[in-house]
Amino acid sequence: MAGLTPASGAQGAVERRTTAQRIGKGLLLAVIVLWCLLPFAWLIITSLKQGDAALNNPNPLVGPFGLGNYASVFGAGFAYNLRNSMIVAGTTTIICVAVGSLAAYALVRLPLKGKVVILGAVLAVSLYPPIALVPPLYEVWRSIGLLNTYPGLYIPYTAFTLPITIFVLTTFFAAIPPDMEEAAKVDGATPLQAFWRVVVPLAAPGIFAAAILVFVYSWNEFLLASVFTPRDLAAQTVTVAIANFPGAVQFQVPLGSVTAASVVTTIPMILMALIFQRRIVSGLMAGSVKG
Amino acid sequence: MSAEATTQVAQIAKRKGLPESRLAKVFLAPSVIVMALVALFPVVYAAVMSFALYIGRTQQGVGLANYAQALTDNRFWAAVIATFVFTIASVAFEFLIGLGFALIMNQAFRGRGLTRATILIPWVIPTVIAGTMWQYMFNVTPGTMNFFLPFAPASFNWLGQPGWAMFSIVFADVWKTAPFVALLLLAGLQTIPIEVYESARVDGATAWQRLIRITLPLLKPAILVALLFRTTEALRVFDLPYVMTNGQFGTTTLSILVQEFVVQAANPGYASALSTLTFAIVLGIGVIFVSMLGRDLVLGTQEA
Repeated sequence: MAGLTPASGAQGAVERRTTAQRIGKGLLLAVIVLWCLLPFAWLIITSLKQGDAALNNPNPLVGPFGLGNYASVFGAGFAYNLRNSMIVAGTTTIICVAVGSLAAYALVRLPLKGKVVILGAVLAVSLYPPIALVPPLYEVWRSIGLLNTYPGLYIPYTAFTLPITIFVLTTFFAAIPPDMEEAAKVDGATPLQAFWRVVVPLAAPGIFAAAILVFVYSWNEFLLASVFTPRDLAAQTVTVAIANFPGAVQFQVPLGSVTAASVVTTIPMILMALIFQRRIVSGLMAGSVKG
Repeated sequence: MSAEATTQVAQIAKRKGLPESRLAKVFLAPSVIVMALVALFPVVYAAVMSFALYIGRTQQGVGLANYAQALTDNRFWAAVIATFVFTIASVAFEFLIGLGFALIMNQAFRGRGLTRATILIPWVIPTVIAGTMWQYMFNVTPGTMNFFLPFAPASFNWLGQPGWAMFSIVFADVWKTAPFVALLLLAGLQTIPIEVYESARVDGATAWQRLIRITLPLLKPAILVALLFRTTEALRVFDLPYVMTNGQFGTTTLSILVQEFVVQAANPGYASALSTLTFAIVLGIGVIFVSMLGRDLVLGTQEA
């Protein structure tokens, strides 16, 4: 800021950062960091508490502490839930990015009538309340045997994440100069080759950003998963398992198991968010600019 | 690109067989098919089902009876009110807190990287987990909120009474989503050229005047996008009331009500009428936002 214009006297006085100002800004930033981290810290601490006495004590620092909750969570087959979520979210991501990038490319570069109508329809899909999908799809899935299966989840997830994928990727594809593909075509490449060899590598950051957004959505989805894979470890995802953890005794709150399972589910996502922070933010921006 | 090159490309495309307009349709087809089958088909199918009465496996056309029942049902209107209360309260607080966070992050220089890293954490936590977490914190046992809030009695039942139950759900949603709104608004803030502020400052504008007269007007597109996103999401809220209160104490939103008639009191015709009404409400509000945003924003950077 200060380096941009030659500071006149008045401006210099305004822009000089006093120590008090700097501390004030630091404190405000600390508020944001605490807002984001404190509840998660509570989750981790609670998951480490052993026994009902500790778990029912509102003071987070009252022990004893240990890894017992994690042992019981994995003893109850949570590894299967993790596997199911990995497969469902991974498959959704692959299909969605492959299918969505073709569509986005067609919308940005290829001659097509009614682009506005198509984009409007895509937008309408993104506004669709998932609950409205449940009654008809449940009937169809039951009759063709897709309840309690992976495709029963990744097919609707793909439909629901295609809009954001298409919006994100049209933004990234539009930013690639058309000259490059045209040059490839002049050199004898077919449109498909131009897309695959020139556009896809150049849009790799955008494709990656879209992939992360799709993965996060699929990993976190709960409504469809809870209706379509109710009690079956063969396809039940982590979110459904966590919402349905039984207490050791009836009416007992399964606080230890739930918090431990939540930490196990969330840590990989948080690591991903930290590592790919820039990509995620750019993807969110690209998706949001499109509406 | 010159006209000469264009004709050259056209010739090559012709020679290579599949013309670009055909290719466009081929590229678009898989997406259109998936979305049509899984999203469009259920909309239509639900609309069809909404005109029927189901008794066991048999059905019988009843015209608009399901809609008449919904529109005269107190529970439907209670759900509409709960949904709108949740939407208005959560979006308003998310916007104000998100704007505050964005302004702070736009100002600060040191510690910005750390803040940007942590701000994604609430967004990336599954909503069910965030809801479960806040449910336990608001719950009487272990009573975390009552322990930390000096003015709350130890037995204060946040989730077990009307009003406070909705407050708790709004609170959880604001916690999870305000940082996301902050990110969207921060991106908008960073497109505002610094020179505008410099000259306003030279003219003697106060910080408040700069916020009201410069920042907010220039931030309008980003604000509208954030509000569109959040409003349409909030109108469809399901996970939070489901795990935190199970729709008790005035927290039965439209999605919760539909789910009740799908799963518990299975009544496919009535559930379909309710879900069609929900879709119409969300779509109607979405269309209002999009028309405010303007056609150019939906089309974005497209050359067309």
